[in-house]
Amino acid sequence: MKLFYAPGACSIGIHLLLEEIGKPYEAVLLNLREGAQFKPEFTSINAKSKVPTLLRDDGSVLTEYPAIAYYLAVTNPEAKLLPADPAMAARALELTDFAVATLHMQGFARMFRPANFAPSEADHEAVKARGREIYEKGLAVMDRALEGQDYLCGEFSIADSALFYVCFWWAARLGHALPANVAAHYDRMKARPAVARTMAAEGLA
Amino acid sequence: MKLLYSPGACSLGIHVILEEIGKPFAAERFSTRDGGTYTPEFIAMNPKSKVPTLLRDDGSVLTEFQTIAFWLAKSNPTAKLIPTDLEGETRVLEMLDYICGTIHPQAFTRQFRAVNFARDAEDEPRVVAQGKALAEKYLALLAQSWKGAEWLLPSGFSVADCALFFLERWCLRAGITPPARIAAHYEAMMARPAVARALAAEAA
Repeated sequence: MKLFYAPGACSIGIHLLLEEIGKPYEAVLLNLREGAQFKPEFTSINAKSKVPTLLRDDGSVLTEYPAIAYYLAVTNPEAKLLPADPAMAARALELTDFAVATLHMQGFARMFRPANFAPSEADHEAVKARGREIYEKGLAVMDRALEGQDYLCGEFSIADSALFYVCFWWAARLGHALPANVAAHYDRMKARPAVARTMAAEGLA
Repeated sequence: MKLLYSPGACSLGIHVILEEIGKPFAAERFSTRDGGTYTPEFIAMNPKSKVPTLLRDDGSVLTEFQTIAFWLAKSNPTAKLIPTDLEGETRVLEMLDYICGTIHPQAFTRQFRAVNFARDAEDEPRVVAQGKALAEKYLALLAQSWKGAEWLLPSGFSVADCALFFLERWCLRAGITPPARIAAHYEAMMARPAVARALAAEAA
């Protein structure tokens, strides 16, 4: 199993799931800043030019954060990354999708890459502000979901890995404060040995 | 079971899935054009103000297209909307994520809601053009990597086809000519009775 990742990118969430599972795997650093994702060596593996990308032992490639997370959870049941109850498993997927497709792709993408959203540079501040608004609203939804429990679905699951990476961006990269329940979740995540190993492996510790 | 939808929105894909399952369900219209998803009535059900939203029989609410599609497919195994093996299931999820997480918001939202991407009205045509170019790129990629026969995945008809279907409707709306492989898929979808029922319900 080989994970293609970029330090501190959303792939960090998959990286930590692999650490939680604890089986041998290889992590391959892709330098997004140098455009490695657009070079033929990588596009022949994932034409979408995105991380996380998982190269499995049979040579097949799996893409998209929620699909990779789900696959890893189901193939490693002993790691307990997905609730056994189907209704709760659906919740874990729902929260994973929300973190990835809304907080990351609608919120952060606007803050980090405003040029992708507005042609005029004069608009970039407004795009960033809109991104921040989307993110803060999403964070409030996550804060409510965490009310009275340590993890999003009660026990640790793939949804927590997704919430972790968007919180890492907000708190560590941008230096903003998190709402109370989410902040406690972020600290709880950082205290997990698998998360600490992942941070160290990506050079972020 | 009740689906909250907006006519022609991505919720159309879930509407088709419910028709494919064929069990009784209610569908309530909240037109995004009229701000329906921002009314207190809607926010009380889904504070994210998005369709599709599914109210389940136990009163709980499920959101996010991929999750609703996955849950409906898994909880109605006789409808055969998702393969029963993990590999097939994972490929369906991967496709749902690409359609709903990338193609929809990056390519089509740019075309239909240019105002969300540009503040100045004069920039809007550039945003629309960028959305169109992205749509063509993503759809070409989808057609090139097509592994199924008539349907998107080699495992056969699935909820992923219902997700692709809403994109195909949007191609018509946006004046985009999809690759031949995808145009043929659209024709095959249109021939399904469940699709006809969902379209008629949303047009009523």
